Amino acid sequence: MTIPAISIRDVTMDYPTPDGVNHVLDHVSYDVAEGHFVSIVGPSGVGKTTLLRLLTGLASPTGGEIHVRGERLTSSPEGLAVVLQDYTRSLMPWLTVAKNISLPLRRAKMSRSAVQERVQESLAEVGLTGTERSYPWQLSGGMQQRVSIARAIAVRPSILVMDEPFASVDAQTRFDLEDLVLKVRDDFGITTVMVTHDIDEAVYLSDEIVVLHGKPAAVRDVVKVEIPFPRSQMATRNDHRFAELRTRVYGMVRGLE
Amino acid sequence: MTRFWRWLLAVLIGAWLPIVFVAWWWNASAESTNPFFPPLSVIWEQFKVNWIFELVPVHVVPSIRNLLIGFLIAVVIAIPAGTLIGASRSGTRYVEPIVDFIRSIPPVALVPIFILLLGLDAQMRITSIAFSASFPILLATIEGVRSTNLVVLDTAQSFRLSPSAILWRVRLPGAMPTVFSGLQVGFQIAFVVTIASEVLGSGFGLGAFTLIATDSFLIVDAWTGVVLLGILGYLLNIVFDLVERLSLRWYYGQKKLS
Repeated sequence: MTIPAISIRDVTMDYPTPDGVNHVLDHVSYDVAEGHFVSIVGPSGVGKTTLLRLLTGLASPTGGEIHVRGERLTSSPEGLAVVLQDYTRSLMPWLTVAKNISLPLRRAKMSRSAVQERVQESLAEVGLTGTERSYPWQLSGGMQQRVSIARAIAVRPSILVMDEPFASVDAQTRFDLEDLVLKVRDDFGITTVMVTHDIDEAVYLSDEIVVLHGKPAAVRDVVKVEIPFPRSQMATRNDHRFAELRTRVYGMVRGLE
Repeated sequence: MTRFWRWLLAVLIGAWLPIVFVAWWWNASAESTNPFFPPLSVIWEQFKVNWIFELVPVHVVPSIRNLLIGFLIAVVIAIPAGTLIGASRSGTRYVEPIVDFIRSIPPVALVPIFILLLGLDAQMRITSIAFSASFPILLATIEGVRSTNLVVLDTAQSFRLSPSAILWRVRLPGAMPTVFSGLQVGFQIAFVVTIASEVLGSGFGLGAFTLIATDSFLIVDAWTGVVLLGILGYLLNIVFDLVERLSLRWYYGQKKLS
């Protein structure tokens, strides 16, 4: 049996609030297979982002365990990179694009030239060669999110976790970024977990879709997306399986099915 | 370079009121026979004798030196201390009331105490300057570091940056716009305390010069000291502004775009 990239076992999350305990997650269990692209969907406020914070080690569950590649999670694990929705805040505005990308490499004790090389490779991967000396805020929203993706892949992660990564960009940019993420995943064989509220996006990108539902939330269903890769915005979105899946998942998120 | 010229233009636009004021002063005082309000033309003649550049080494250089050394000490102590305190939740709670209390005392009122403790030498003056200037810097740094954006913190943490890298490379740089507002206030206080610390027991420095001149009924000389203080304060503020603009280029650039 192969070890899953991420194993979520009976994870429960409660927050104390002035009005009593807020039960967010209730015995959530799910395994993310190595190399898979998994989307987590669910109605807004269901606890998607909470689950993602647990996966990244930014918070600890009140019950249950999370294992990343067989090791129990206690803090942010090695080999896991994060892309957050709010690129305007997650990129440091006082650092240039190149310095933003090299910031996480500080841990790696790489030589200066190796760091430079890694920055160049990462920028080339996201199609932003030549922006090294710009500041993030001088770039468009879509380009800034490309920079955060470049920063994430600069550490050569085996797992990429993204929280609504394309929520604040326009539709055209969104399609481009979706294809970029698929390309990155292909080039580096990265296991990817993405939280999204966009069901079309989830179907387009994923191998599997995890539907969270209820209060406290549990895994309502796991939907396999059996549309072959490579996918394309035109062909895949016109595929009859695409339409069926989005309708099914939509129904689950809405609690209709 | 165009940014520099634009900045210079802004300074010149800001200078029209002082120019009008000087012109008015010049005319209104031209016929004055009041010994306490000599004509500006007379003050100017004496100004040239005193400050271009005869007395500069004796009276201006020590003041500026004390000011800069004192201010730098304040910066070097208050910014790291503020960063550490701001990053610690309980630290802020324990330290802030004390800092607020000391800060509420007018800095000039502390000078006599420093004289009692340290005597009447340059060391005392520099200590008073550093002490008084450090509180606004400390408070601004605490506030800036404490209010680090949570997304920034999450990002840094997910990259497994060490706590010290998060503190000095993420939280402090992000706090710099707030820190600079404290530096500005601290610098103004440092200037005031520089002059005030010279009023007692010193033969050198601009504060000493002006006070001695007044006590000796050298009213014109006293006026030249006052005018020079005004000019110096103004110039130092411009320099400070320039340093801030250069250090926070990212902040002003971002602000202009949003």
